[in-house]
Amino acid sequence: MKTPILAAAVALAATAVSAQNMPEEVTEPVTITFYNYNLSSAGNGADATKKMIAEFEEANPNIKVEGVPVSAQNLVTRVQADIVAGQSVDLSQMVFSSLDFAAQNLGAQALEDIVPAEEMAEHFEGMVPNGLALGKLDGKTYGLAYTFSTPVLFYNADIFREAGLDPENPPKTWAEIKEMGLQIKEKTGKLPLATGIFGPSALDWLMQGVIRSNGGAVINDDRTQMTFAEPEAVEAIEMLRDLAKNGVMQNLDLTSQMDTMAAGNVAMYLQTSALQGFLVNSAEGNFELRASTMPSFGDKPVRPNNSGSALVIHSTDPVKQRAAWELMKFLTSKHGYTIITSEIGYLPLRLDIVDDPEYLGNWVKEHPLVQPNLDQLSVLEPWVPMPGPNYLQIQVSMMDALEEATFGNNDDVQGILSAAQEQAQNLIP
Amino acid sequence: MTIDASFPPGAVPRKRRQTAAKWETGIGHALMIFVSLLCVFPIYWMIVTSLRSESEIFSTSLWPNAADLENYRYALSAVPMVRMLVNTFIISIAVTVLQILTGILAGYAFSRWKFRGSAFIYGAVALTWLVPLQVVMIPNYLLVARLGMIDTLGALILPHFASAFAILLLVQAMRSFPTEVIEAARMDGAGHAEILWQVVVPNLRGTIASLAILVFISTWNEYFWPLLLSRSPENSVVQIGLQMFITAEGTQWGPLMAASTMASLPILLIYLLLQRQVIASFMKSGLR
Repeated sequence: MKTPILAAAVALAATAVSAQNMPEEVTEPVTITFYNYNLSSAGNGADATKKMIAEFEEANPNIKVEGVPVSAQNLVTRVQADIVAGQSVDLSQMVFSSLDFAAQNLGAQALEDIVPAEEMAEHFEGMVPNGLALGKLDGKTYGLAYTFSTPVLFYNADIFREAGLDPENPPKTWAEIKEMGLQIKEKTGKLPLATGIFGPSALDWLMQGVIRSNGGAVINDDRTQMTFAEPEAVEAIEMLRDLAKNGVMQNLDLTSQMDTMAAGNVAMYLQTSALQGFLVNSAEGNFELRASTMPSFGDKPVRPNNSGSALVIHSTDPVKQRAAWELMKFLTSKHGYTIITSEIGYLPLRLDIVDDPEYLGNWVKEHPLVQPNLDQLSVLEPWVPMPGPNYLQIQVSMMDALEEATFGNNDDVQGILSAAQEQAQNLIP
Repeated sequence: MTIDASFPPGAVPRKRRQTAAKWETGIGHALMIFVSLLCVFPIYWMIVTSLRSESEIFSTSLWPNAADLENYRYALSAVPMVRMLVNTFIISIAVTVLQILTGILAGYAFSRWKFRGSAFIYGAVALTWLVPLQVVMIPNYLLVARLGMIDTLGALILPHFASAFAILLLVQAMRSFPTEVIEAARMDGAGHAEILWQVVVPNLRGTIASLAILVFISTWNEYFWPLLLSRSPENSVVQIGLQMFITAEGTQWGPLMAASTMASLPILLIYLLLQRQVIASFMKSGLR
């Protein structure tokens, strides 16, 4: 760890010097690197990203963008290795759960420290405040929300009809999920509910939203105390355990759940809205796919949080910072978000483009499935990153315990979570 | 006690034995056919899935309704598959040749000379076999970066220049090589280079061929090191190409299966053409 810490220290020291030194424009040719996980896959994400980069380069002839494709799972490792190896890491598409680590160890620059305040305010105009808050840590914007989404309840209208349920009235609460789930199980024999809550690659984003919707949290506001064994969290897990015990939900692998839904064998599927395109293609000619908002706990308000990524500037060179900021502005502009939403399937950070026919207006009309996702933008809350260098360990040990408490043989949910919370607490710096 | 003279003693048991043996052979064959089907089915399913259309991808029918090559067309256009296959082939051949070359030289040195510290060095080489790749990945990456070799095929080959497995296997083979033959060659005035390349190596063809197959297959299937090093699909390998169809926005099963079929063709060809040799190499070196 010594070398990355040293590198980060160097980066932070350089930030202090370069703060507010960003030139007004890029006058000489400069190349910046953009570590991007959409580029590491084939399909819409990569195509749209390449298209946006090409458009940006055409509009900014002095700036060349070198896209570095890295999968989301390996992005932190690669950025860390490249910083130590002396490679230029200028801009990255960082998963929100790694944001704290990026700020502490990967030289992530707070925009307030490098971008002139009035320019920042001008660009942020029209952006959803909840969306802007996603990339903030300790009052500073380390990441600007880029490709992000909310949890949506997709459902198979054909299975609903087969079970004697009305597809016009999807479940709004977890109690209704159980009630309808039991009916679906009995009448159709299909799996009532699949989710993206559990599984090695699920991380903790969806779980945070479930616990929060019951008035709890997995960690306190200043991120010093784990709270996933508090009564509200325990109650939320007991609800999930009840669903599992009644056969409404099963402990399946994350990909299996996605594919079982796509194959038309699951009635309801709570997962990121980013899967919409995939599910629409799979459902075509096979079943009627619909979507609703995340279920609530009785009358309590639904508090979904986002999944996805933010744009983070790592460069300490003022010219490259300017180039990276220009790219960041382009990607999160009205035009950029039109491409991101309509061609990749993520949420727009700017709601004013949703009804504007020049941007997303017509597309939203043609794609009604996106509506629940848009509805949740106004109540969106941040996916809170675990603090310190052990953030992944904290996340994994917490999620393992929550999974055991939901699907394991031991009925003592409180006991399992309290023990795990104590363990996770020791990993917080 | 009466004996039925028309039925010679021992005849019934022999016949029964023959019938039982036939049954046993039949059951054995049935079991082997069943196991073979289990082994072949995933390959069959991969090929069938690669021929299905997107809306049919989760169908459980054994044959696609309308087989087409659309997934192959898409896989070849979305990812530089041909380039990746060529890269993988170059890297696999280069690593195989280099590991055999360094293995032969090291094997000869360890088996022919007892120099000071040879046992220690041999032990150290053997111990490196126990170090997982993940442990040395980052130091290797830093080294490659400092050499300015990031995003080059050379960087994918460099860390595999020599391997403990190849050295150990060849040392054992050379140690069991009859010393009389080597002494005879020496008596005829042959130097070490001649002895190695004209006497020892031609006689170890079987072992070297087995080693070559194993190294080629494991290099072809390598994923983690290219994953860390890959900076552009054009300079990457086919295993990374496969991973590109598994995205955060859903898995593209059809193109993934088409690409997997293309990626496994060379290995399937090796199995088909060198079947006996492949089995012998697994038997000789233990399953890897």
